[in-house]
Amino acid sequence: MVRKIPKVIAGPSCDDPVIDHKDTEYLSKFLTPQGQIVSRRRSGFCTQCQRQLKKAVKRARHLALLPFVG
Amino acid sequence: MSQIYEGMFLLDNDVVREGYEGAKALVTGALDKHGATLLSARRWDERRLAYPIKGRRRATFLITYYQIDGNEIPGLRREFDLSEKVLRYLFNSVDAVPEGEVELAQAEGATDFTVPEPPADDAPDPEPEPEEPEEGEEGEEGTSGEAAPDGAEQASEDAPEPASEEAPEVASPETSEAPASEGSDESDETPEKQEA
Repeated sequence: MVRKIPKVIAGPSCDDPVIDHKDTEYLSKFLTPQGQIVSRRRSGFCTQCQRQLKKAVKRARHLALLPFVG
Repeated sequence: MSQIYEGMFLLDNDVVREGYEGAKALVTGALDKHGATLLSARRWDERRLAYPIKGRRRATFLITYYQIDGNEIPGLRREFDLSEKVLRYLFNSVDAVPEGEVELAQAEGATDFTVPEPPADDAPDPEPEPEEPEEGEEGEEGTSGEAAPDGAEQASEDAPEPASEEAPEVASPETSEAPASEGSDESDETPEKQEA
């Protein structure tokens, strides 16, 4: 059994970790088709950037810019 | 202690149709009422919502930057919670107003600036861009369809080449190993015989 390694999505470098919740086109790259946030293994972010991504996505969801599901 | 905040407001399109300035005044008036210093306020976008809020599928987004005492925030929240014209809001504390934000807000105040009338609530988003990829996809499908008569179309998506390559590779080592092993046995035997 060969385990599939997910493709890493090219994210910004950690030198510029500002992730804007209004940039929905960029944020949607880090969502699965079901609307879930992809893991750090998949996104390629460091811990701090992944937390920023999480916060930005949740803010965008609150403003109905991104869906919660689907 | 006062702090700069970014406020994003989702305005009901029915209120915006009656007059954008009046809809904007709803927000700016509430901010002034609670002692906020308005730094900038402008229309960010009008777009379809990812999910309906209060029965609305589209809304106008208003982005504001203001300075206010933190003790006033709960009262401000309560005011917008009770308002039916503001569908949703989000306050974020920021270090400073982003560059160019004040200029954009000033440009909105110019006489030439006109706000387009919001489309109907059920109107789909005008997206000409997705049509082009669809054509490309159709073309790709066509190519895959052409490959179908050759056989193993679905298998080609998974990993056709390795599978096809593996089979002969697997077969060839077995066939090659058998004679090689025999050969090696023979070669092993021959030295023993020679030693004997």
